[in-house]
Amino acid sequence: MKNRLKVLRAERGWSQQDLAEQLEVSRQSVNAIETGRYDPSLPLAFRIADVFGMTIEDIFQRGE
Amino acid sequence: MPCNLFSRPKNPAYTRYARRMAVASVVYVAAVMAASGLLHKHSAATPAAVAVALLPGLAVLGMLWAIARLFVELDDEYLRLLEVRKAMVATAVTLAVCSMWGILEIYTDVPRLPLFFVFPLWALGLFVGMVVNRWKAP
Repeated sequence: MKNRLKVLRAERGWSQQDLAEQLEVSRQSVNAIETGRYDPSLPLAFRIADVFGMTIEDIFQRGE
Repeated sequence: MPCNLFSRPKNPAYTRYARRMAVASVVYVAAVMAASGLLHKHSAATPAAVAVALLPGLAVLGMLWAIARLFVELDDEYLRLLEVRKAMVATAVTLAVCSMWGILEIYTDVPRLPLFFVFPLWALGLFVGMVVNRWKAP
């Protein structure tokens, strides 16, 4: 699964730690999702979408 | 952020895990030392000897309970995945080594490996799992 997390985070000037604190997860989790090493569960994907004020489909796309 | 093999993300579940594991480890070491002091090789397996041997077993149960609680209490799903993978690697290493050595013990003249070493081997496997986690998620 591809995602636009890094771009969206950079647009808002957030560090990985900033985003991790908003999501209440570790910085390692944000890094793993951004780099495509880990696909989040549906509840975490919803939390990510809520933080950015977008839908899941706006952030995550099908494909490697 | 600098990190080494043993650094952990901040999470209260890790603090509780470390505390529980420290207590269980101290009990384990004390129980093993007590057993080696109280029992002698080729002693009869009296009820007292069984009771002494039971203590390290209970300490191992304590360590496994601490790990199980970590799985339950860790609210970060990615960190939980890393911990489960570490335990799976440890289990795989232990079963593979024991299966291989078991075949050698049955069919060749290699020295006998006391069953006591299975748990220390699993603990060593946790270290291998930690290395695998670092390798897959630097």
